[in-house]
Order: sequence, then C-alpha cells, then structure tokens
Amino acid sequence: MSSLHDDTSELAQLRSGDEAAFARLVRAHHRALLALARPIVGESEAAEVVQIAWIKAHAALKDFEGRAALRTWLSRIVINEARMMLRQRKREVFLEDMQPQGAGPFVDRFRSDGHWSAPPVNWHADSPDSLLTREELADCLATLLDSLPSNQRALLELRDSDGVPFDEVCNMLGVSASNARVLLHRARSRLFALVDHFEETGEC
Amino acid sequence: MLRCRDVPAEAEVLLDGELGFGRRVALRFHLFMCGNCRRYLSQLRLLLGAVPQMHGQASDEEVDQVLERLHDHSH
Ligand SMILES: [Zn+2]
Repeated sequence: MSSLHDDTSELAQLRSGDEAAFARLVRAHHRALLALARPIVGESEAAEVVQIAWIKAHAALKDFEGRAALRTWLSRIVINEARMMLRQRKREVFLEDMQPQGAGPFVDRFRSDGHWSAPPVNWHADSPDSLLTREELADCLATLLDSLPSNQRALLELRDSDGVPFDEVCNMLGVSASNARVLLHRARSRLFALVDHFEETGEC
Repeated sequence: MLRCRDVPAEAEVLLDGELGFGRRVALRFHLFMCGNCRRYLSQLRLLLGAVPQMHGQASDEEVDQVLERLHDHSH
C-alpha cells in the first residue's frame, strides 16, 4: 500500500527495471503526487508536472539509494518539476500569500483557565489503517483535504503525506518556520476535529 | 506551567522532531498528569499516520496513461 515504509524486495525489483514493479509504484503514489502538485501549479498543470516527474523518476530509480522513503524521494522530484514549470510560465509566486489569517483552531474547546471544555472523545480506531476502513469517514476526510487553502494543503502533503522533514518543507515552499507551524497546525486541527466529531456522532 | 490549551501546538512540534529539551520536559510532565492531553496526542499520532494513505490508489486508466507516456518518451 501507499505507506511510507518500502519493501526491500520491491525496491530491488524497481532498481533492476522491473516494469510491473514500476506500475505498482505508480498505482501506490500517483494520486498523492497529484495532490501535492495541485496546490502549487494548479489543477490544469498538475497532471503534466507529475507525468514529467514519473519519467525522471523512472530514469533515476536505478540510482535510488533508499536513504529516504520512495514517496519522499518522488515528492522531491515533483517539487522540482513544479518549480521548473512555474519558471517557464514566468510565475514569480510559488504559492499564494503564506500568512495565516483568521481565528486559530480549537478556540471553542478550552475553558478560560486553559483546561479542555470539550476534550477529545475516545476513538474506536486503534491504527491508521482502521481509521480509513470506514468509507464514509475516508470520503469526508478527502473532501476536507480538497477544501483546505492551497498553502495549508501543500504543507500537509509534503510533511505528513510525503514525510519530508519540517525544515526542508519550509525551504521548498519558501515559507518561514513560524508561518509553516501555524498553517500546519490549522490543517491538522481541522482533520482532527472532523475525525473526533465522526467518532462521537457517526457522521461528519 | 503548560496548560491543556497549549498542548495541541506543542504536540505537533514534538511529532515533527523540533521540540527543544526544556519544552519537551514540560510537555511530558503535563501529559503525565493529564489524561485528556495524553488521549489527544495518541490520537493525533494515529491520524497523522493515516495521512499518507488518504489518497488511495490510482485507477488502471491513470496507471496506463503514465506508462504510455513513459514508453513514448523512451522511444
Ligand atoms: Zn492537559
């Protein structure tokens, strides 16, 4: 599956140029790479950026050293291609305004003394897999991801979906560490609040 | 003293491996005392562990399209 843990025999097959293994790689990561490219270059260019990234990845796989997860390695290639695409289009701004705006998350869940007024409920899910086996919840999460502002989305994809280290994410997107913190916190808190509500009520 | 209200933001810095020693100690102490925040952290960890899988797998059409362009390119 598309976790961040790579299978060593799968890696060996990929490095040796096994076509079926490459097809499995595309199947596992293509949607995540599109989701990364979209907030940066826009819907219409994302598919092209990811396609070019696959061609480059295919050529470079034999030299892949496995120091990072494949997903992380692939996402770096996508970011490079996205950057080149924007340069060709003479677009100076990599992402729109990265300043966080509006009220922060969870403001209504704490009392004035700083304690929880609405603490998280006890979730039934006890593993990441079991969290997503409930189709309705998985759909709600997908809808929420698509509704996030593009700067929050790009940060969440790189950090949490692709496993890129926090510092590198800030450099890649040209955002200060403090803004990245606030934006990531907003995105993650909205996901958390959605799951928490679903666990409590059975609906999103 | 760290309050529950501060824990969500601190917990993320911790999970990103960026929390300095002093703040880490303060967070650990709060978690030791506070069941609500322990639950918050363990469920946040679970949720973030699920993010890489939230996109699902590509369809046959999507995979074929990528492979076709790849073959066009290498010929
Ligand atoms: Zn607490």
